[in-house]
Amino acid sequence: MVDLIIFLVLLALGYGFGRYAELKHYKSIIQREKEFRDIPAVTTKFPPLTKPLSDVELVSGSVVISVDYFKNFIAGLRNLVGGRVTAYETLVDRARREAILRMKEEARAFGGHIIFNVKLETSSIHKGRKNGIGAVEVLAYGTVLIKQ
Amino acid sequence: MEYSNPEIPEGINTSTQHPLKEFFLLMGGILGIVIAAVVVLTLLADRLAVYIPFELEMQLATRVTDGLPAVEVESPPIENYLNGLADKIAAAQELPPEMQITVHYVDDDLVNAFATLGGHLFMFRGLLEKLPHENAVAMVLAHEIAHIKHRHPIRSMGRGVIFGLAITMVSSTLGNAMTDQVLSNAGGLTVLKFTRDQETEADQTALNSLYQLYGHVEGADLLFEVLEQGNGGEQLQMPEFFSTHPLSENRINHIHAFQAEHAAAATADVALLPDEYAKWLIPAIEGETATSSTLKN
Repeated sequence: MVDLIIFLVLLALGYGFGRYAELKHYKSIIQREKEFRDIPAVTTKFPPLTKPLSDVELVSGSVVISVDYFKNFIAGLRNLVGGRVTAYETLVDRARREAILRMKEEARAFGGHIIFNVKLETSSIHKGRKNGIGAVEVLAYGTVLIKQ
Repeated sequence: MEYSNPEIPEGINTSTQHPLKEFFLLMGGILGIVIAAVVVLTLLADRLAVYIPFELEMQLATRVTDGLPAVEVESPPIENYLNGLADKIAAAQELPPEMQITVHYVDDDLVNAFATLGGHLFMFRGLLEKLPHENAVAMVLAHEIAHIKHRHPIRSMGRGVIFGLAITMVSSTLGNAMTDQVLSNAGGLTVLKFTRDQETEADQTALNSLYQLYGHVEGADLLFEVLEQGNGGEQLQMPEFFSTHPLSENRINHIHAFQAEHAAAATADVALLPDEYAKWLIPAIEGETATSSTLKN
């Protein structure tokens, strides 16, 4: 019985804090994405040749986001029946967008106007108990063209 | 090609569904399946118990007997004698080869004997002292072995164990904790209760095997007379054994009926016990051993 209460408290805490953090994070992401819209990040290997050649610089942004107890539990249930693990989808989506935003922030500090050859790398950096994924890291990097 | 940088709408890579909705759907579905499985298993527990491999039952018994004090490395001669007799009876009852019978001698005054999980039989000194010849001892053993043969112990452990074992099969880590819990809740091995039908079934099998072994069932009724005396004379310490058994009188009548059917019975001689039998049964000097006091719980 005590175990069940502890479990329910953890679940409620996970849901409450996790949900709050996620909504807040999405709000911030959407707002900052608008701010950085003038710096496109593209995956082409070569810089657009229409612009005069300029200085280049490597820029990167990385972020680590942890899952919460609720997401972990719901993903565990998903494990039994299969299907979209929507609890983790938002997690990885947030991490990708945040990493790109941080990369763009760095690019702006350089005075860049476009980032090309953008690459994303994902890894789970912390395996929790029973090898469950504890946190996800996303690294975004690319080459920024700096205005002369 | 013209480069454009459109605003990407939300919700492509993520789901707009509220996480709680998914939670309740999943929980409801999985709990429903689990509950349905439990209901089906408990309804069919008695029938399914027979299909539990005996090997698994023995493992289960080991987990419980581990809690008992270790038996001396050298088993007493009485145990060797009883095991030898048990092997003969097991052969007569055509026990499947994987069903191993282990007889334990309990140095205690109780007039009792019982069979439990994993083919373990416990014979108390109190009962053995009162049996005058081998046929009576064989009747006790045959009766308890018949319980094992018909898988009565595992069936009597009931729904809890079936459920625990079902979970053990699904998940080994969760399952072990679960069966331990179930077994400890069931109060261990010594309080197994058999139904009257099971007792009658065991009596019948026992008589058949005795007839096969000795050619008659002379002396088999003695067991119940002894039990009756033990029942009336002393303060009763293990009521389970007697209360769930059919009335001794009925059982004696049953044996006599069996004798009447098989004509050879009347003139038959009973097999004698080994000369050292009485010597084997001298109680240990220290009086009650730890084993017997544990078993009484």
